Amino acid sequence: MKPWEVCKLIFQIAFRNLWMYRFKTVVISMLLGSAAFLTVLGLSLLRDVEASMRSSIIESVSGHLQIYSSKAKDELALFGSMIMGRSEVGTLPDFAPIRDEVLQNSNVKSFVPMGIDMSMLGRGNELDESIEALRAALKSGEPVNIQDKKDHLRFQFAQLRREHIEKRKIYQNKKDLDEQDAALSVVESKDYLESLTLQDEAKIQFLETKIAPLSGEKTPVYLMYMGTDIGLYRKNFSKFKLLEGEELPEGQRGILLSHKIRETQLKNMVARIFDRLNKRVIKNGIPIAGDPESTRDVSDLQRQYSQILVQLDRKEAEEISRKLTEFGIAPVEAEKDLITALTGQLKSFLVVNDESFAKRFKWFYDNIAPLMKLYELSPGETIVLKSYTRSGYLKSLPIKVYGVYTFAGLEDSDIAGAANIIDLLSFRELYGQMTESSRKELDEMNAKVGIREVNADDAESQLFGEQAPQNIESKSLLNESAAPVAEVLNVKQVISNQFELSEVSRGLALNAAIILKDPSKLQETRKKLEKDLKAKGYEVQVIDWQQASGFTGQFVNIVRMALLFVIIVIFAVSLVIINNSIIVETFNRIREIGTMRAMGAQKTFVLGLFLAETGLTGFFGSLIGTAFAVALLMILGQSGIPAVNDVVTFLFSGSRLYPTFDLSLAVGAPLVVTLIATLTSVYAARHAAQIKPAEAMQEKE
Amino acid sequence: MVDHMSSPVVQIRSVSKIYPLGKTQVQALRGISLNFEAGEFTTIAGPSGCGKSTLLNLVGCMDVPTEGEVLVEGTSISTLSDKAMTKLRLDKLGFIFQSFNLIPVLTVFQNIEFPLLLQGKYSPKERNSRIEQLIEEVGLKDQSQQRSNELSGGQRQRVAIARALVTSPRIVLADEPTANLDSATGERIIDLMKEINRTHRTTFIFSTHDPQVMKHAGRIVRLKDGKVVEA
Repeated sequence: MKPWEVCKLIFQIAFRNLWMYRFKTVVISMLLGSAAFLTVLGLSLLRDVEASMRSSIIESVSGHLQIYSSKAKDELALFGSMIMGRSEVGTLPDFAPIRDEVLQNSNVKSFVPMGIDMSMLGRGNELDESIEALRAALKSGEPVNIQDKKDHLRFQFAQLRREHIEKRKIYQNKKDLDEQDAALSVVESKDYLESLTLQDEAKIQFLETKIAPLSGEKTPVYLMYMGTDIGLYRKNFSKFKLLEGEELPEGQRGILLSHKIRETQLKNMVARIFDRLNKRVIKNGIPIAGDPESTRDVSDLQRQYSQILVQLDRKEAEEISRKLTEFGIAPVEAEKDLITALTGQLKSFLVVNDESFAKRFKWFYDNIAPLMKLYELSPGETIVLKSYTRSGYLKSLPIKVYGVYTFAGLEDSDIAGAANIIDLLSFRELYGQMTESSRKELDEMNAKVGIREVNADDAESQLFGEQAPQNIESKSLLNESAAPVAEVLNVKQVISNQFELSEVSRGLALNAAIILKDPSKLQETRKKLEKDLKAKGYEVQVIDWQQASGFTGQFVNIVRMALLFVIIVIFAVSLVIINNSIIVETFNRIREIGTMRAMGAQKTFVLGLFLAETGLTGFFGSLIGTAFAVALLMILGQSGIPAVNDVVTFLFSGSRLYPTFDLSLAVGAPLVVTLIATLTSVYAARHAAQIKPAEAMQEKE
Repeated sequence: MVDHMSSPVVQIRSVSKIYPLGKTQVQALRGISLNFEAGEFTTIAGPSGCGKSTLLNLVGCMDVPTEGEVLVEGTSISTLSDKAMTKLRLDKLGFIFQSFNLIPVLTVFQNIEFPLLLQGKYSPKERNSRIEQLIEEVGLKDQSQQRSNELSGGQRQRVAIARALVTSPRIVLADEPTANLDSATGERIIDLMKEINRTHRTTFIFSTHDPQVMKHAGRIVRLKDGKVVEA
């Protein structure tokens, strides 16, 4: 026996048959080719996405492992979860002993305490800001500055007056309007602002309490933030990148704003809508016409003219009006007064369509934006965060904005950078945990207002019994008329902006990131840590980055399952078609196979012949499919795949994914496809091998 | 050698063959006994359905009898496995079919080489000399590199004869070898077979219902209704 020559013979005949039944060959090889194409392309992309997403998640927030309380009511979801509002992930009341235990593990590099929570941002309207600015100018004593601020306020009064006239046309409650009218008339008198000095506190307070509210309340903004040991965080999370301002120094209270949050929640509404449209229409190339999302934005944009107007003083308003006229949007002839004229001009400027958008977007940023305060918050400012603490009372905390950060490569992603970063001490304050300084502060407050310790056991008799102090019931923290309380509320001076570094090296955290030395032993380390911590009696759970990132982390797994499902379906279809075609072919080739058998070809020869035919079909089909996939991957590797939306940006860990192709995948896929195709045809080939040699005698029809 | 010369190459002992046909049965052969001696040039004659093909199938080791025994060179084929029967066909038997049954995409040379490759006994050089000699013998020297589907019917049957002979079989079985050929070509094919029978001492057993062909036979076995009427 010479197997080589028999093989040669088998392949020679197999090739002939493939050629003879070309149509079938093409159909099957296309099916198997597409299976190979999908396998190579899909798995390559998934591998790249997983790698980039892995780094997105691990190097921005999660670390390799996350540890949190096993008593948590909700699952830890660092990138947001399905639960609206604050999720209950429990606490690590003092993370220090847990950290020390975790660091015992030889594969652990570091342990970074964290906590995610949200607070309300206290915010005033533009008038509040102008009044605050005037107060500052008065303090500075610079006449030009003071005059500027006064002019600006006057211009805002004029706008208020105009709004007031409009309101009168539609409002029912004339009594309220009359009151507002009276208040406005007071400040409109020429002398009111002109003679205003720092000493006229009553006048300034009148502005703050009676005039500023006329400009309307801003909707509250909830700021998500992550409290952490900033020093440890910076050492372990390489995606962090400071964009503006300065880094938050260790041992300093402060907040770093997320670039994304600032852009999407704290930017001027007109700019924000312009940005959104720019991203969708220009960057992603989706025309406004026919796109419901952009259409909604376009109609919102037209209504936002006042967001520009309120920020301008008279001089700026005149300048914009003039420039808009040059731009081709002239005020309507009849309208002589500046506010009315500019309102009309801005309204028509803000009506954009596919044609005008790019030009107006640029014009806005070139001419209008520089005159505006584009962001509500900027580095150097101090903001007030208000939080309902876990113990139930409202806590206000002034905190300085140090800088604006983003995660490198994830600038465009909404998912990354969903949280601002604050120091761990401020986090604890807002969470409702007593820090040493706030405990001191509370003691002082208690001393001032006469609150004393009440034992839970006999609280009732103490508070409401005969010895109970009578005045306690009328004490409301928000009642400003109570002088001691007003003092108490003025907490800025009491809480120090600095703290001892030792305070962040122990105490409360909600969760912690664990960075490993060797990430390939992730699951092993996770199990060991969980076991060791449990053995020491800590009620904690340790999860991997994928689980900690919620749905986002599972995404790749879900896509992989879907892809495998599609590939399996293609294989199943191919299997059915291959088997059917072999069985049909067997009928057509009975005489030929019978002849071979008669002449002395063994059953195994016939079996081999049919297997060779599907094997060859599979091999060439999958080779072509793989070649296409590799070619596509190489082209995409050059040009990159653009991230169509924020989720994809996050997955790609950047605005484009540059796929690579894996040689082992390109070699392995055709082999696997060939093998599977060959194996699936065994049944039908055995069927063909059963043909009797006597069939050779069968006559041609 | 002596043994071979004295005992029959094929012995058929009280052989019956019954085929199931739907719910009934067809008795193709009814207890026939026959011997074929080495070097015979025998035709099996008879009308359609008389059992000619069945008899050839049995002698050609492609089927086993329902009753009785078929011995090829002393071996009872009923005792053999499929694999052993296939090996027996490969080594001892050659086949010529009515429709030639060549493999269309292979050349004349490759078609003839096919059984040799299955055997795997010979070196390429040995194979070449055997094949070339046979090609010359059947008169297809100029066509050896042509595809078999480019040949005429007569040429194809010559290829088939060469293919049947290439393994130097003891017996060549031919099923109506001239049925698809015109009478002149048929005549020449029979002449060729007879020539080989004489020079190679190969036993030829072939079926036909053509009286012109029958007259060339050294012996005629006539079948009717599954029984031998003349041997």
